[in-house]
Formats: sequence, structure tokens, C-alpha cells
Amino acid sequence: MKVLIIIPAYNEALNIEKTVKDIKTNTNYDYIVINDCSKDNTKQVCERNNFHMLSLPINYGLTSAIQVGMKYAYQNNYDIAIQFDGDGQHQAKYLKDLVNEIESGNCEIAIGSRFVERRKPHSLRMLGSNLISLCIKLTTGKKIKDTTSGMRAYNGQAIEEFVKNPSLTPEPDTIVYMIKRGMNVKEVQVEMSDREFGESYLKPIKAMEYMFNMIFSILFIRSTTKKKKGGK
Amino acid sequence: MSITLRILLIIASIFSFILCLKRIKQSKLKITNSVVWMLGSVALVLMAIFSNAVEWVALKLGFVAPVNFVFLVMIAFLLMQTFIDNIRISALNEKVKELNHYIALKELQAKNDIEK
Repeated sequence: MKVLIIIPAYNEALNIEKTVKDIKTNTNYDYIVINDCSKDNTKQVCERNNFHMLSLPINYGLTSAIQVGMKYAYQNNYDIAIQFDGDGQHQAKYLKDLVNEIESGNCEIAIGSRFVERRKPHSLRMLGSNLISLCIKLTTGKKIKDTTSGMRAYNGQAIEEFVKNPSLTPEPDTIVYMIKRGMNVKEVQVEMSDREFGESYLKPIKAMEYMFNMIFSILFIRSTTKKKKGGK
Repeated sequence: MSITLRILLIIASIFSFILCLKRIKQSKLKITNSVVWMLGSVALVLMAIFSNAVEWVALKLGFVAPVNFVFLVMIAFLLMQTFIDNIRISALNEKVKELNHYIALKELQAKNDIEK
């Protein structure tokens, strides 16, 4: 199967080199760096290393970066698209586990999860994660342990959904949407490292806003998604 | 309604009406977008002229003072307008995003074609 790894990058000049090299050494899948109009020299770093890169002319955020990656995957007939953070938190050696799950037909979407075999630590972050978990359980009846994981693999059907519905984000509410559309979601145990350089997207106020958006979206919007006609 | 309020309403409405017309002529405002504002100012003039009718409706609906009714109508009108604007901004946002993606994908394709 043709696999594409989508690496959204915004001001990741310090991390991107390591991330792509990790992918190149540990997998033989295609990849594409989505440079979301970074203000630092992310673009120059990619060009210097001759990385496969798509450069957006306007900064539009993570959602837009993933969406354009999905469009690219769709246009080039990829069977599986994986979202993979460019900040060095994700490790490429686990990607084949995700791909295996989809290839063997166990699921349509595979999530790289930190908590399949391991217990969640107690922290404010995990409280938020649990809350989203609960909302997903309430609306779909499925238990997703690591909801906020940014390492997800989507099969062709899910890629098509992304291309046809521009409201889909690379966030947990999309998982609810996909489950409601009749797809199976499975979690695969992975390790994640702490980020080395730069700041995360989620700061306290942003995190509150994020939580509110997610809960609202899951409970009121995605929960009413209709099952695809002719689906299983 | 007091006579001063009525005069004020009429002056303000006429002023906004003229402003709308001027902006359309300078083609800074699309006609479809301005119709709502013009209708709004006409409604204000009518409310000022037929203040007896407004007072009658306000009392029937249980307002303490008719002027409150006028304010409520204006607030409702403004809320509606901001909501419609919000929808338009979202739609524009989506269009700009599509263009953003289109340009990036085309550029990459052009680059790949050259390398071949």
C-alpha cells in the first residue's frame, strides 16, 4: 500500500531536520513536510536538505496544514495518510505498527496511543484528555484512551472524508465523526518523547479554549453525524 | 416618545441613508449589502413619524417606556446583522484557505514537472 506521512511544520527549523531523518532511517514510506508559512527558516532548512516539501503562502494553522496534506494524498492516490508532528515528539519506528493495523483490515483509523498498555499519569493535561475520552464514550460508545495524540493513520476512506468535508480537523472531534460514519478506530501503543525546541500549540488559555471547542463540537455537532449510505 | 428623540431618529436615519447612497456610488459597498441598512433607516424614520403606533404596540407588549421598544428593535437588528456578517466571514475564510491550498499544490506540481 502507498503510505504518505504528513508532517505539518510551523517554525520548526530546529526540529524538522531530525524528524525527517528519523522517518528516512526508520521507514521507507513517502513523506511530505507542510511548511505553514513559517516565520523562521524552516523552508530554507528543508530546501538545503532537499526534503520533499509543500509550502503554503499564508499561515492558516495546523488544521489547514493537515487538510492540504490530505488533498495531496488524495490527488496522488495514497492508500494511507499519517499525521506526524514535526516537533520531534513522535518516533518514526512506531509508524509501521499503525500501518500494519490498517493493512490487515483491523481498522480504518489507527491512533498512536501512549496509554494502551500503560496507565495515564495524573495531571491537569490528562484530566482534559479524560474529559474528552468521556465525551467520546458518551456519543459513540467507544473507548479511546489517548484522544489528543497527534499521531494518527487514516485509510483511503478517511482521506476522502477529509477532502470532501473542509470542517474536519486533525483533532479528537474528527474521531467521533469518523466513528459515526461507520469506521473502526484502533489504538496502538507508542512512546512519545518531550519536545526539544520551541513551544507547543497548547498554552493555558489556549488549552481551555481547545477543551471547550472539543467538548462542544463532540457533544453537539459531531454526535449528530449521519452514517454513510452503503457503509457497513 | 419625546419630540427630541423623534427628531434625532429622523436626522440619524436620513444621514445614514445618504451615507449608504454615497458609498454605493463610490462602489465601496455592494448594493445587496446596503439594502438592509437602507431598509433599517427607513424603518427608523417610520417609527419616528408614526410614534403613536409604536407606543400602542409597546404598551400592548408590556414595555414600561416605548423608547425601550425602539431600542430592542435596533438591538435585534444589529445582532442579526453581526450574525450574517459572521457567516460571510467564515465563508470568505474558507475560500481563502482553498486558494492557499490550491496555490501550494500547484507550485509543488510545477516544481516536480521541472525536475522531470
